[in-house]
Amino acid sequence: MTAPGTALHWLTATEIAQAYAARTLSPTELVQALLHRIEHLQPRLHAFIRLDADAAMDAAKSATAELHAGRVRGPLHGIPVGIKDIIDVAGLPTTAHSKILVDNIANQDAVCVARLRAAGAIVMGKLSTHEFAIGGPSFDLPFPPARNPWNPRHHPGGSSSGSGAGLASGMFPLALGTDTGGSVRNPASVCGIVGLKPTYGLVSRRGVFPLAFTLDHVGPMTRTVADNALLLEVLAGHDPDDPGSAQTKAGHFSATLDRGVDGLRIGFIRHFHETDMPAHPDVTAALEDVERILEAEGAIVKTVTLPKLSEFAGINRVILCSEAWSIHAPWLRERPGDYGALARRRLLPGAFMTAGDYVGAQRRRAELIAAVNDKLRDFDVLMCASSMDPASEIDDAAETARTYPRQARAPFNVTGHPALAMMSGLSGNGLPVSVQFVGRYFEDATVLRVAAAYEKAAGWYKKHPPI
Amino acid sequence: MDPTIAALAKAAGLDKALSEFPADIEAAAAQALGHAEAVKYPADPAAEPWPPMHAEPTL
Repeated sequence: MTAPGTALHWLTATEIAQAYAARTLSPTELVQALLHRIEHLQPRLHAFIRLDADAAMDAAKSATAELHAGRVRGPLHGIPVGIKDIIDVAGLPTTAHSKILVDNIANQDAVCVARLRAAGAIVMGKLSTHEFAIGGPSFDLPFPPARNPWNPRHHPGGSSSGSGAGLASGMFPLALGTDTGGSVRNPASVCGIVGLKPTYGLVSRRGVFPLAFTLDHVGPMTRTVADNALLLEVLAGHDPDDPGSAQTKAGHFSATLDRGVDGLRIGFIRHFHETDMPAHPDVTAALEDVERILEAEGAIVKTVTLPKLSEFAGINRVILCSEAWSIHAPWLRERPGDYGALARRRLLPGAFMTAGDYVGAQRRRAELIAAVNDKLRDFDVLMCASSMDPASEIDDAAETARTYPRQARAPFNVTGHPALAMMSGLSGNGLPVSVQFVGRYFEDATVLRVAAAYEKAAGWYKKHPPI
Repeated sequence: MDPTIAALAKAAGLDKALSEFPADIEAAAAQALGHAEAVKYPADPAAEPWPPMHAEPTL
């Protein structure tokens, strides 16, 4: 149940549903409170590109009336959600944070948004991203970049930056992000929340502007693991019109959250952050703490070795650049000046990739997938770093360019395994640091189970930014 | 600018970008080379790309 005195904006989706059932809170009251908080924080954090306040209030009033009439649409009835602005919401622009698409009104909801609405969720609006989920943080776009609630001088990660900033600051309890090289897990890591890149194909991408077809995922972003599992339950399921959609039954991701980690085998990929890309000492220390906590909870943690991080990163880049070029080539030819500088510079390399580069990367990809699968035969879950550094100052372009690629998320876009990033502590300067858990294909529930056990034992979810 | 890079950019239809953002074109070519060089190609000539071609019954 809701802890006495918990401010409305820090309630989790699970707590909100309980409060609605107990008639101690209504959707109208909650949405009003959140809109007030957004009005207060948006000028500092820029989490929203477009707040849809009127539609959210109308939906809240309908949800309230339905509750009074004893009707519950689904597990997210009356629960507010923010949507990254590369995901279509009917009637609203999908700008991808770019001048190129600034007038692009969506005709219908993306499948993931339609699933949220069918479960009763209330869409609050569209959230900041990096331009086309690749170019940012940038100051030469039609909308300002989101900022980190833990310290607005710092970036909130990306490219699902508004999702991370809005969740961590209590603007909404649930959000959708997308992840092609780590874009759900980066904001989760540096904003101190929970972000899951599900197994490739588990969540439909139809109605989501693509970045790289074989690397793109839609993922749930939340403040707690239980909410993440709840959101994934609504999102997951086969979509015959998404060519990458997996033929799987809908999962029950919440059912095993409380089982703990006693006896689970966890492979710790130390070389990612120790030798391949030496991490900030605060990140390393927090990872050691995670290991200690999981062992104390009964897990068996052993060191494992995979191919070097640079190899995964190289494969990710070749595939991403090649596939993104096939999408952006017409605009890069005709309207190069309408891109921000960062997006243009990150998309143009695709023009210089050869077919041989792409096919070669896809051939090596199959071997990397086999290497990860091989470890997951011996271990239930793998554990490793996510970001190697706390978030840099957003105005420090050189430091941002240095630290942004220092991450261990891209390997699991290459392989498609489910991967979750969450808070593992605070750095010396008060910014979140993180850990990542990785599971077998379609065993997202086991990843969430380990994350839930760690969350409960470590307690970082109780910590909120001082904003 | 290296004439090969300029020729490749023109072949890709990037005349406008070449004229307006020549530094971006040069940087992109260098990045592409760097990314491609980071890839260790499979030693096995029969190693197939991911995902493999699949034929499925239809209709």
